Amino acid sequence: MGMRERIIAILVNNKPGVLSRVAGVFGRLGYNIESLCVAETISPEVSRITSITNADSDFIDKVKKQLNRLVDVLDVTELVPGQSAQREMILIGINLDQKGRTEIVRSIGLFDCKIISMRNDYCIIQVAGSREEVETVINFLKPFGIDKIARTGVLALRYKDSVS
Amino acid sequence: MEKTGAEILLQTLREEGVDVIFGYPGANSLPIHDSLDESPIRHYLVRHEQAAAHAADGYARATGRVGVCLGTSGPGATNLVTGIATAYMDSTPMLVLTGQVTTELLGSDAFQETDIIGITMPITKHSYLVSDPGEIASTVKQAFGIARGGRPGPVLIDLPRNVMAAKCEQSGVKNITIPKKRNARRKKDGGELQRIANYMNMSERPVILVGGGVKLARACEELTGLIEKGNIPFVSTMMGIGSVRSSNGFNLGFIGTHGNELANRIVHDADFILTVGARFSDRSTSIVEEFAPLATIAQIDIDPSSIGKVIKADISLVCDIREALTTLTPLAERKGRGGWLSRIEKERNVLGKDRSMKECGPAGAFIRDVQTAMPEETTAITDVGLNQIWTVRSWETRTPRGMITPGGLGTMGFGLPAAMGVKIGVPDHDVVVFSGDGGFFMNIQELATISYYNLPVKIVVFNNGHLGMIRQIQDLFYGARFNDIELGNKVDIVAVAKGFGIEADRVPVEDPGAGIEKMCAAGGPFLLEVLVDPDTYVFPIIPPGRSNIDMIGGRQG
Ligand SMILES: Cc1ncc(C[n+]2csc(CCOP(=O)(O)OP(=O)(O)O)c2C)c(N)n1
Repeated sequence: MGMRERIIAILVNNKPGVLSRVAGVFGRLGYNIESLCVAETISPEVSRITSITNADSDFIDKVKKQLNRLVDVLDVTELVPGQSAQREMILIGINLDQKGRTEIVRSIGLFDCKIISMRNDYCIIQVAGSREEVETVINFLKPFGIDKIARTGVLALRYKDSVS
Repeated sequence: MEKTGAEILLQTLREEGVDVIFGYPGANSLPIHDSLDESPIRHYLVRHEQAAAHAADGYARATGRVGVCLGTSGPGATNLVTGIATAYMDSTPMLVLTGQVTTELLGSDAFQETDIIGITMPITKHSYLVSDPGEIASTVKQAFGIARGGRPGPVLIDLPRNVMAAKCEQSGVKNITIPKKRNARRKKDGGELQRIANYMNMSERPVILVGGGVKLARACEELTGLIEKGNIPFVSTMMGIGSVRSSNGFNLGFIGTHGNELANRIVHDADFILTVGARFSDRSTSIVEEFAPLATIAQIDIDPSSIGKVIKADISLVCDIREALTTLTPLAERKGRGGWLSRIEKERNVLGKDRSMKECGPAGAFIRDVQTAMPEETTAITDVGLNQIWTVRSWETRTPRGMITPGGLGTMGFGLPAAMGVKIGVPDHDVVVFSGDGGFFMNIQELATISYYNLPVKIVVFNNGHLGMIRQIQDLFYGARFNDIELGNKVDIVAVAKGFGIEADRVPVEDPGAGIEKMCAAGGPFLLEVLVDPDTYVFPIIPPGRSNIDMIGGRQG
């Protein structure tokens, strides 16, 4: 039992409507999708969906079985923290004044991030890393006045040797 | 050779063995109807698309083949929805064809456009929108594979008009592969069957719980073999009725809310339950925590999502039921089980030997009289309500497909159109449908179809002037406040039937006189209106929120 973040990787046929079938399963079981990443894999006819849901342990079994009923779902695996690499990327837009601008340029090097656009009054910063790293940067930048934020949601891959 | 999409569609349906389509045309399905003229496939024009879906469902349940229905886009498609949901809940293999607006209009809120794929997503196994005539043959073949495969169910193909009308060079379709799961869930037996056999052999009070999956897997003989070899009593779910002849001495009846008291009590006492092809629906289990409290539970099912969903089985196997039983039976030891069987007999006597028959009162007696008057190979179809419970409890089911009832969705209005599909599917069998007045009115227009095609279906309408089953619930659990359930008796059902061109008669349930004989002797369709007192209920019954052994109106009632 116990609610926590559960990461699920779903391999599906890369076809129209498949995502809505997958999302429908979560919805019908009453689960909210906290984050979702979808893109094609090395074979373009297959897509990988990575999703996060806050749920108890029943969730994995239920959602796996229901997802596996879908014809276009090829595989469903839970990705457990210690046994998989997990990364997230975000873009953060910040409104700047002169002072903030200097400070950001000076301190941003402390973190693993990049300024990808810089204008007099606005910049966009790219951050990539683990959930914690990304959160740390967001917290650091909050006082500067974050205007907008876009997150990929977590991507994860299982380490090669770990057994599921 | 160049063919139109519609021609390819019909040719592929033929190749898949389709001989009948139940449908209703509209502008966007016309290319298909246009080509049907030249196809050996027979099209039955119903009077409402819901009936097309139920008829296809009935056809499939009676024949074991895939039922096919066809509606136009928009309202035609939405009218099919209740029938699709009914088939989905009871795992009927069905192919649903819907016309659709032309591909360039898709998504434009065009006239008679609905997103039928979106609407039916939760009630189909799979669905396709075909956008290229070159894909039709392979899509249809895949759809059949999916509808029949694993746990069967309805598959929908949405067919835009221009794709049906377009010509294309037809290339033969060879082997169709249904996308395979990476780590295929269908495990091979890894010793589970031996362990199940061990439990079964060691158990003192075993029971087999039979679900609808046994019939779907065509495993009825294998199951009977196991029961008789191991001397193991069995109960069934409502959908499981008929898997084994109901006169089999090991039959304890069916479990659940409206089930047999003996079946419910014995499941409660059992120390081992082998569940085959059943999904532990709430109608069968009542309070899950109090279901079979003493039993080790084993479960065999083809559908992984049915395992552990409601009740955590102690041991389970995802497997075709017939394969599983073929392996399991040789592992089962021949046992006397004298103690257990005599305990069950004692219980049966306490409850009254033919109690479950008497419990259905005069309606039950009437149904048995109908059965006596009809040939051995008669298929009974029920609607929903008291009439359904009376029928499944009073009719002695002799063949796996001898009783057809919409168990999972409980769809009023199913009976009459389903009976048409059954009669068309198994024309050599006599077909009788038992309905209440409420459910009869829900698809009454199908009398016109029955009359037009002169389908010799026997139609019994129990007329109690009320929504009987709901009335019983109000009577028992809502302080006898009878709100919104009176249908009244102003409609002359016999005259209505005659107006449709169907012979009919009216009899009181207690004294049907020559009514039953007249119905049986009729060469064409016949409707028998049977007048029933609205206070005639079904007992015993499990009150909401109570467990399976808390049946009321049982011993005393
Ligand atoms: C389409 C549909 N609407 C409502 C219900 C709820 N319902 C279940 S039984 C029943 C009463 C059925 O009455 P009737 O057809 O007269 O049969 P009886 O119970 O009297 O035999 C109703 C309304 C249902 N099962 N299906």
